Amino acid sequence: MALEAYASRNPDAVHVDVLSKARQACYKARDAFYACLDKESNKRPTEIASVGLLYPSECKNSRAEFDKHCRASWVKHFDRQYCRNRRVQRLLDDKDSRRVIKQ
Amino acid sequence: MFVLISLFIDSGQGNKSSGNTVKGPTVGGPFTLVDTENRIVTEQNFHGKWVLLYFGYTSSPDVGPEQVQIMAKAVKLLESKYNSEILPVFVTIDPQRDNPSQLRAYLNEFDSRIIGLTGPVSAIRQMAQEYRIYFKKVEEEGDDYLVDSSHNMYLMNPRMEVARCFGVEYNAEELSEAILKAMRSTPT
Repeated sequence: MALEAYASRNPDAVHVDVLSKARQACYKARDAFYACLDKESNKRPTEIASVGLLYPSECKNSRAEFDKHCRASWVKHFDRQYCRNRRVQRLLDDKDSRRVIKQ
Repeated sequence: MFVLISLFIDSGQGNKSSGNTVKGPTVGGPFTLVDTENRIVTEQNFHGKWVLLYFGYTSSPDVGPEQVQIMAKAVKLLESKYNSEILPVFVTIDPQRDNPSQLRAYLNEFDSRIIGLTGPVSAIRQMAQEYRIYFKKVEEEGDDYLVDSSHNMYLMNPRMEVARCFGVEYNAEELSEAILKAMRSTPT
């Protein structure tokens, strides 16, 4: 069988950055950054992350760790997920507060 | 004329009887890929076994590893709790990055029994089409990209026909129980 197109550049290369140890390190750095965002939510978000996400300068260090430990595509994916979840959460919170007012 | 009419009636009845056992669209088909030891694997290798088939990629940020974890745990549960054997198979939808070494390193971290399959892009594309798997590169920046895909898991019976299809909503316990049910309800 002709193995033409698969892994043409590096047939034996292993990308260790997606293996368990690196993956766990990435998740840890990600969680720390988002925890910082939640903690510092009353601060002015002046820094730009990705996909339109803004964060306060207090979270700069944890953002750098996040960027360091995760692939750029993963960072974008998690940022997008975070924005989506936060949007949904806001909608739900909004709904709840309206219900409270009505009562 | 009479012969002609009776032929029509016959064929009509034939259609009716087959209509009672109408089958869904065919999912699955032949394939030729390579495993993590660079051996050629075709659908023939899986005949006579129950197979749990998942299409994924090792660079998946979250859903992929979660699904492989569920698959590995379900296989262990089936063995330890129900004494039933099933072969877990992971087919990459990202053959450009998932070479045999990459698949081996990745899958061994979950369970060394998981068979990893890769191959030429054309062969993967053909198999994905046969199994109705959607996949598309997104967020592409050179070698760094994600693959958007349908995270379906197929349970294949020993004739390599799809017995069940599972989505991401199943946890390992639910998956193992659903697999067991399907295995027990299939005459061997």
